[in-house]
Amino acid sequence: MSLSSAIATRSLGKCYGRVQAVHDLDLEVRRGEIYALLGRNGAGKTTTIRMLLGLVRPSTGEVEILGRRIGPLETEGFRRMGSLVETATAYPNLTVRENLELHRRLTGTPSGVVVKWIDRLRLDPFAHRRADQLSLGNLQRLALARALLHDPEVLVLDEPANALDPAGIVEIRELLRELSAQHGVTVFLSSHSLGEVSRLADRVGIVHEGRLLEELDPSLRADEQRYVEVRVSDPDRASTVLQKSGMRQVTRQDGRLRVYDSAGREAEIARVIVQAGIDLTSLTPIEDDLEDYFLKRTGGLS
Amino acid sequence: MFTRVLFTEVMKLRRSRITWISLLAYSVGPAAGGLFMWIALEPRRAADLGLLGTKADLAGLTATWPGYFGLLTQTTGIAGMLLVSVITAYVFGREYADKTARVMLVQPVPRYWFVIAKLVVVLGWMAAGTGLMIAEAALVGVALGLPGLTPSIAANGVADLLLAAGIAFLLASPVAWLSALGRGYLLPLGFAIVMLVIGNILGATAWGRWFPWSIVPLFAGVAGPRAETLAAGSMAVVVCTAAAGMAATIAQLTWADQRQ
Repeated sequence: MSLSSAIATRSLGKCYGRVQAVHDLDLEVRRGEIYALLGRNGAGKTTTIRMLLGLVRPSTGEVEILGRRIGPLETEGFRRMGSLVETATAYPNLTVRENLELHRRLTGTPSGVVVKWIDRLRLDPFAHRRADQLSLGNLQRLALARALLHDPEVLVLDEPANALDPAGIVEIRELLRELSAQHGVTVFLSSHSLGEVSRLADRVGIVHEGRLLEELDPSLRADEQRYVEVRVSDPDRASTVLQKSGMRQVTRQDGRLRVYDSAGREAEIARVIVQAGIDLTSLTPIEDDLEDYFLKRTGGLS
Repeated sequence: MFTRVLFTEVMKLRRSRITWISLLAYSVGPAAGGLFMWIALEPRRAADLGLLGTKADLAGLTATWPGYFGLLTQTTGIAGMLLVSVITAYVFGREYADKTARVMLVQPVPRYWFVIAKLVVVLGWMAAGTGLMIAEAALVGVALGLPGLTPSIAANGVADLLLAAGIAFLLASPVAWLSALGRGYLLPLGFAIVMLVIGNILGATAWGRWFPWSIVPLFAGVAGPRAETLAAGSMAVVVCTAAAGMAATIAQLTWADQRQ
């Protein structure tokens, strides 16, 4: 594990009887990075998060958070971590304030932070309301406030945008970005919302059937997956003339050409091909987003 | 750190209805015992009560302070043990029923502190209930004008009650373990009821003194003739059961996968 790593796993695996939920997972999340784990239901995301938090014992491998091993006997590391696992929960008979106060005492955080986070997560109108009388969205806000209350250096969040309304989703996204950018907080999250992941994460790990298939940068992927597809009578010659006119990234696929790095240059592509005396059958701008890519990598809609 | 954990465990009981319901349940014992005493004191009026009078008569009750204490010790041995099991199942099982175990277990606190703090809460809760019972019994006994109260009878009566309550508490730790194992209330409460039945049956046999859940009924005189003193072996069995239950609960919270 390098010094810049906040979370590192080595050969992390978990078996439930004959079911291998997670296989040999090697992850390294840098300090201050927002890393998202993306996968279908049952891909192993929650099991991975539970292993990171010491709630499930790995069958193989190990976890290090901020350079320390984490587990049921190594609980001191939780002082520097905040977490939200699966659905938001709280002590139902306690108010929002009491739930946060309870967490504050357990983490040994100075008083005053409870009011700060109630205010920050807009829970003021509900501060004295019992947790079992909160809406799902406000319960999610309470769980996020609890995760953030003790100023953790690492946040492990399972579906942080769950149950939030659109404004709440933007608010939490901005909050997590701010924590990461301005305070160097590392955020490790899992999400089903591909749109949310592509807007928020610096890096995305795609997991499928318990294996890490690929890690990618969503912003780079967006550029890579935006292209113009052309069908022409002579693909070889069309490729050559397009490259000569300055479009360097031209690939050929099944008799079609893909021209990358060509946003807004559709008219120019058509003109170059036609002026070279090549018949242009079709020209289609394509944006293959993270969702398409994710589905391709994990076996389509089946 | 322990006081911090204990404070939060007490805090979790705020606005919890079961706290008041259980205290009410503790107060039923002296009231019901007082009613039986009154029936024994007033046999003519008891006759007018039909079945209740017959039952009170069949129990061979004597309307004296030793008789009243004996009845309360029996109540503690049966209903009290079940009540402590309910309290323990609530204190431990609620973390699973409310899905807060996954919050509790990611705190910067060794997990065994939660087990110890919860057991201390159960002990305090039970002590409050038993204290309430003793205070109420004193009032009821005085109000009924029960004869035979001497300082030594009062001390022996209270000591027997506390011993029965103490054994009931020591047998709470296996209930705590089953709450964690079964992730809720059903398994521990089912276990408590089954143990109560088996304990009363075995109490009538020679094995009773070696079976933890028979020891209170034996001592209280519920399962056959009352054992005036507890054999050291019987106490050792109870203490070993308590220690094993506590160790199993700590192991369950520490090593078992928390998939809830």
